[in-house]
Amino acid sequence: MSGIERIRAQTPIVELKNYTYLYRGSNSHALSHVTARIEKGDFVGVLGCNGAGKTTLCKSIAGILPYVVGGSWEGEIDVDGKSLQDSGGTHAVGLVGIVLQNAESQFTQPTVEDEIAFALCNFGYERTLMRQRVAFAAKACGLTTVLGRSPYQLSGGQQQRLAIACVLALQPQVMILDETTSQLDPEGRDEIFRLVGKMNQEGKTIIMAEHDVERLAEFASKLLVLDKGSLVAFAPTSDVLGNVELLLKHHVRVPQVTEAAFRLRSQLPSMRRLPIDLEEATAAFKVWKRGSVHA
Amino acid sequence: MPEAAVQTEALSYVYGDAHVLALADVSLSLCCGEVVSIVGQNGSGKTTLVRHFNGLLRPTRGKVLIFGEDAAKRSVAELSQICGYVFQNPNHQIFCSTVREELAVGPHNFGFGAAREKKAVEQVAKELGLTDALGKHPMTLDYTTKKLVAIASVLVSHPKVLILDEPTDGLDEIGREKLSKVIEAYRKEGNTVVLISHDMDFVAMVSDRIVIMAAGKIVKDGSPQEVFSERGRLSGAHLAPPQITQLDFWLHATSELALTTDDFVSKHADKHLSNYVDVVSATS
Repeated sequence: MSGIERIRAQTPIVELKNYTYLYRGSNSHALSHVTARIEKGDFVGVLGCNGAGKTTLCKSIAGILPYVVGGSWEGEIDVDGKSLQDSGGTHAVGLVGIVLQNAESQFTQPTVEDEIAFALCNFGYERTLMRQRVAFAAKACGLTTVLGRSPYQLSGGQQQRLAIACVLALQPQVMILDETTSQLDPEGRDEIFRLVGKMNQEGKTIIMAEHDVERLAEFASKLLVLDKGSLVAFAPTSDVLGNVELLLKHHVRVPQVTEAAFRLRSQLPSMRRLPIDLEEATAAFKVWKRGSVHA
Repeated sequence: MPEAAVQTEALSYVYGDAHVLALADVSLSLCCGEVVSIVGQNGSGKTTLVRHFNGLLRPTRGKVLIFGEDAAKRSVAELSQICGYVFQNPNHQIFCSTVREELAVGPHNFGFGAAREKKAVEQVAKELGLTDALGKHPMTLDYTTKKLVAIASVLVSHPKVLILDEPTDGLDEIGREKLSKVIEAYRKEGNTVVLISHDMDFVAMVSDRIVIMAAGKIVKDGSPQEVFSERGRLSGAHLAPPQITQLDFWLHATSELALTTDDFVSKHADKHLSNYVDVVSATS
């Protein structure tokens, strides 16, 4: 690796430097002195109660706050090594894509195909390239068989996948998903997590605000926890979930198996660290299974 | 035997434009003082079923009885006083410019009178922790608070049957805890609570009974223990038991399953320590 490549590899894709944000008309900070460094290829799950600052964080990284909505801020956010402040947020447009909670409310076009092409069209993409990008995004999101349908004829899971496809077509380096799965059934959620997980494996950086901590435990490489606008934790997933007392103190759910192992840890002396999913939990509790056979 | 609040007899429903049989011969009885969760994939008929309880939909065939009386004889307005329905998306339900006005819509329409209306609004706001939000515009609130406003706006009229469509979606831990307390208190007063939910952790925690629907039919109706033991039927409906129940099932397939983390911890608090000691002494 050359010196330049090494330096580039070390540049975080997103860096928040003591970032503080206040909505217009509000007297309490939505985010307060947040410092975090997100590396290329990270899958960051964002956890916290409602009002903790998850959406504000997502919209700030995408440049929507404060550059579109207004409000006041301090500190800085860099995307791919450049400050958003220097470009008035426009620098984030091609690099960062954001999918919001309610997909239905963002559709404007009569067909799925037109909907995916809409942003590309607005960005002035040449027609052949636009077709290629629509085909790529539709294939990646499993929508090739419904391209001619109205977005409103799709299931909830398909609608969310369409919202992701619209952003994916622009091929951003960072995909932000703000509670994208909260209105879906379990099958729809699995669809979205599988899709986002695959995108991450293919090199995209993912930032995903979610309440579904059990699925995040499976997919996210790091977790970022907010409470009342302040950063409470930002570390590899198993380290954050291992700190059960901290999470419960900030009213953040932990996977059921993690909480159970934490509460029964004195009876699991061979357990080196808390399990964060069912597979790890079955390994941790294996001694009990053996024990119950002996008993 | 507790009184039946809602009964359906061979209820079928066909959506006119699509000629789709959304409900097929559904017979069900929901009793007073019972929390019943209706679960199943999107499109399985859950919402179609409960929309018959307050007359939003009328049967293509079969009958709906509300406290023994044919619902066909009652208007939607009359049925809504008995069966209160909270929509999944609070944005589809909320339309007033302050929370106080929003909460007063039901009592006002049902003729509570000014004094009783004011008292009911303040009481429900207190129960759901919305007192500070009473003067705010509902659309300025965060999603959890909006969900609680939507629930409070139905609860305020004190329907005997409370129907909650996906009440936990988008709710954080604090919201979920608040909601579970409200459901428990409402049940204790002898009311019926009907939940439509994909949130199996919450369903396991609050339900007396779980009904699984698939393709417009009831495929299983039983206690959480019975339903979560039938993993094949659950996976057929694209559902999975709570994570802790799955772990308990793996540990002890035959004994009573733990439905919550508290159940699991208290069930295993002591007895396996001795098992562990047995294993250590047997292998040492």
